[in-house]
Amino acid sequence: MTVYETDVPGVGKKFEVELDGDERLVIVIHHDGKREVFHKDGPDVDADRLFTLGGRQAREVGAILQGAYFQPVETDSVDVPLGDAIIEWVDVESDSPLAGQTLADAKVRQRTGASIIAIQRDGTTLPNPDPEDTITPGDILVTLGTRDEQSALEDLVAPDDDG
Amino acid sequence: MAELLLEVGIAVTGVALAGMLAGRIGLSVIPAYILVGVLLGPNAPTALFGVPVALVNEGEVIDVLAELGVVFLLFFLGLEFSVDQLLRDRRKISAVGVLDFVVNFGIGAAIGLAFGWTLVETLFLAGIVYISSSAVVTKSLIETGWIANEESSPILGTLVFEDILIAVYLALLAAITGGGGLRAAATSVGVAFLFLGGLSVVAWYGAGWFERFFKTGSDEQFVLRVVGLTTVVAGAALALGVSEAVAAFFLGTGLSQTTHVERIEHIVAPARDLFAAVFFFAIGLSTDVTLLAGVAGLLAVAVVATTAGKLLSGTLSGRVYGLDQRRSLRVGLGLVPRGEFSLVLVALAASIGTGRLGSVIPAFAVGYVLVMSVVGSVLVDRADGITDAVLSVTGTDSRG
Repeated sequence: MTVYETDVPGVGKKFEVELDGDERLVIVIHHDGKREVFHKDGPDVDADRLFTLGGRQAREVGAILQGAYFQPVETDSVDVPLGDAIIEWVDVESDSPLAGQTLADAKVRQRTGASIIAIQRDGTTLPNPDPEDTITPGDILVTLGTRDEQSALEDLVAPDDDG
Repeated sequence: MAELLLEVGIAVTGVALAGMLAGRIGLSVIPAYILVGVLLGPNAPTALFGVPVALVNEGEVIDVLAELGVVFLLFFLGLEFSVDQLLRDRRKISAVGVLDFVVNFGIGAAIGLAFGWTLVETLFLAGIVYISSSAVVTKSLIETGWIANEESSPILGTLVFEDILIAVYLALLAAITGGGGLRAAATSVGVAFLFLGGLSVVAWYGAGWFERFFKTGSDEQFVLRVVGLTTVVAGAALALGVSEAVAAFFLGTGLSQTTHVERIEHIVAPARDLFAAVFFFAIGLSTDVTLLAGVAGLLAVAVVATTAGKLLSGTLSGRVYGLDQRRSLRVGLGLVPRGEFSLVLVALAASIGTGRLGSVIPAFAVGYVLVMSVVGSVLVDRADGITDAVLSVTGTDSRG
């Protein structure tokens, strides 16, 4: 993926991002933080303006696109209607000790206190997974629990570094 | 004091209202600021529907604020001047830049000579009709979304070339119009280039010093230091008979090498906007629109010829960048508006004030900028229809 950067005097910077094939995304960042995003079907086609964002909105959307938005949950800045509990998304690596175990065998709730409320697999979400469902590498576990329970769960899912 | 304060208040409020109205009808703000200056100034019209509207006089306070407007317009031009881009694309940029200069400056010079103007007056006229308005052109690039298309490259390339050329040109004009004979002129050109050369060496190699000088946690300190240094350098230049605007330009390019660029854009740009608005207002203030009747013929010739000139040079520039006919035409259409830099030249002409420089040229230029900014907006708004019409005439519609 190639990115072309151009200065636009008096305005700011323009970034042109090559996507698949000839498609291009053009992002203009203004000095005042405003972002304008255009899409082009090819280098020779007129661009369509997709949307315009303010500086703060752009950073939030950027974090979502990056997949980083839900990881650093700060309970003092985010409204959580679940009491002390928060929802986290946890990736299952191929060498995770839980990979290959059924939910019943993994005993996640007994060991950490957090519950697995859904599994995201290949782009689909299985809500309320069955105890007999097997955790497979590449799954994303959607988990509910307090901050401490969540970090215990992350330790459990993470591959053993020293192993 | 009360009178002066009230005048500045009326000026800035007038500019604010004019800008709001311009935004509402989708016009560029520059002609609106000039018009409100004409309206409120001491020249005609002095009354509107029986209400006296000559509320603001040309005075030192407005003059100094306007002068700061020129200085900061050029300071930001230097700050945003992309040396990297110029070097990276130097072959294409110089090709389109020279093309643009030869065609449009040439047309201006031809008009001046045809109307029997002196050499210096012709040089001013040619400069005024040559240079496009960076502010208006980039704004319409954003509004039309052309910024994301290929036609933006030759347009921005042309503007980069014009920026550096107008800096050199202003320095030259300021030096040769300083008075005296050929020798005095040669001396002052020498002084100008020594000063500017020294300034750019300091600016270039002094990046580390600038870096430290502007390093402060306080925004208040920051704006004071930027405005202070810029104004001192501009004032010193003017005292030596060197164009203050060009000195500010070189200082800006020096600062563009530091890490402070973003902060200057955030914190000092509002000061630039305020001063520049007063500058456009002051141009209107000093304009006697009754003189326009006398230059109507010249104005009509200039508008038609230089619109055609930019269309021609822009279309050829698009070809240099390998664009198809539709996009090449857009390059020409996009570059038609003239604005702030034509008026900076007028300010210099008016400060010399001899012959046509003090009366006819300012009136002509104000009329010209007003017409061209409207013509430019209309051409860009109607671009699709215009390119369709042209392409169907030439029978080479590339849209298929």
